[in-house]
Amino acid sequence: MMPIRRKIAAAVAAGALVLLPAAPALAYEPVNVVHTEHVQAGPYEVTVGFSEWPLRAMQSMDVSFIPDGGIGGKSGTLHVTGPTRLHPNLANSTLARHPRKLDVWGLDVIALDRQGEYTFEFRIDGPQGLGEGQTRPVEVLSQPGPPLALSWAVCAIPLVGLLAFLVIAWRRHSVGRTPLHPPV
Amino acid sequence: MTSLFGITWDVQWHDDVGPDTFFTLSHLMLYSGSAIAGVVALTMVLRATVAQRAGRPVDPKEGGRTVRVLAFDAPVGYLVVGTGAAMFLLYGTMDLWWHGVYGFDAILGSPPHMALFSSITTTMVGSIIVFGYAHAERWGRIGLALSLPSLMTFSPLMFEAFEDAPLPFKGNIIMNAAVCALCLVLAVGIVGRPVFAVVVAGALAAVHVVLWFWAPWAAHAYAELSGLPVRDGVGSEPPSLPARIPMLLLIVALLVAGVLSRVRRWAPPIAGAATGVVTAVMLDLQAPLINDGPMVPPGILIGDGLTGLLLGAAAGYVAWRFAAMVRGERREPNPIGRTAVGPTVLGGTA
Repeated sequence: MMPIRRKIAAAVAAGALVLLPAAPALAYEPVNVVHTEHVQAGPYEVTVGFSEWPLRAMQSMDVSFIPDGGIGGKSGTLHVTGPTRLHPNLANSTLARHPRKLDVWGLDVIALDRQGEYTFEFRIDGPQGLGEGQTRPVEVLSQPGPPLALSWAVCAIPLVGLLAFLVIAWRRHSVGRTPLHPPV
Repeated sequence: MTSLFGITWDVQWHDDVGPDTFFTLSHLMLYSGSAIAGVVALTMVLRATVAQRAGRPVDPKEGGRTVRVLAFDAPVGYLVVGTGAAMFLLYGTMDLWWHGVYGFDAILGSPPHMALFSSITTTMVGSIIVFGYAHAERWGRIGLALSLPSLMTFSPLMFEAFEDAPLPFKGNIIMNAAVCALCLVLAVGIVGRPVFAVVVAGALAAVHVVLWFWAPWAAHAYAELSGLPVRDGVGSEPPSLPARIPMLLLIVALLVAGVLSRVRRWAPPIAGAATGVVTAVMLDLQAPLINDGPMVPPGILIGDGLTGLLLGAAAGYVAWRFAAMVRGERREPNPIGRTAVGPTVLGGTA
């Protein structure tokens, strides 16, 4: 039986071993725009910038919404529609500054789950009154990478393994059974 | 515990601040949980192997009965802890590749994330086995009072992927309820005292309160440290992950303690079923109440309640038997016809 002081010392040593060499390095990706779409929302022209093009399902991207004359004095809402029901945060949201590009509105690290056509609909309020408009349908291609079923099968191994271990333990634990390996 | 705090912080960071790299502090904290567990497990397996080789028997209180794996003699609890940690490392590399293909985390429920969460869950199950074998020692009981709430809070993350599945019940809610039933019945079964369910529920409530206030603070303080602004429109919502921890489980635990203090064969499944149904309904009602969101449709509420009841009963039954394993296993073979020692509250085997 190991005394508790030694147990604590071992845990602290293990923690130090892991944490000491690690120095967090923060270098965030810039918000790139590789493709733009233009929307006329009443009196306001909005440039929609995508960080990926062509768009693919499940791939994360940044989207910037840049109204002519900047975002000062303006507010608005965004409504995204697609081939399936979208997460409420995406389907209806208030236009907010992009966390990594604070002079424009935007969505950071979002992914559109399904292949199909999506539209971004704006309702903007500003010095020239209310304006509404939407993008032309934006095409999202099929997902990259291996088929999803294969990814799920590979990633289910730990859970299946855990359940298998519990089942084996259950079956081996019967009254009068010898242990897994004879005593030394 | 480290993994639990790391993931809570990371989820809050994604929600409130946004920018992400592999090397954020919250990620490091999450990885550290598995790394520390892996190093400890490896150390204990090596110690047991050396002891066995030297002809010294290993006390089952040190992580359970030893199992021969390749050339090692691994105490079963540490074997499970270490396997979980090793899988975490393996799937960490897969997650890195996944991000190369799909970019940054847009969703919590991606396949590699599920594998990582189930690896951490495996490590937590292993630590429950380790502490369970040491239930007669004070450190074992303290460990159980911390590791069971960790599992209750963490394991539902694995079922995040089922959140929007078109089922007549909510997969993540009922699994959370079943895990709570499993843990409360395990607590009583292993320690052999009904009041220990209340101790575990109390520990969960304490963890809940700490996480609730700590997650937003940590996310925002770290944002300030990194010179990053908090997202627009953040501040009024409750912290996202702590909001999913079942509240008022103390009341359920009192019920469990009451049911299990009576010597009856059906007590564990009944205690599990009660926990399952109450927790599932509570989780359904708690989400709209604290988020001001839409109420759950009655059909789903009934579906969750019934499924929670059935799964909870199964969890209670299973938990009692596993508790008997942890309490009753001996290194010597049991003579034929002699019963193994089960949880004493039943007055015999489970």
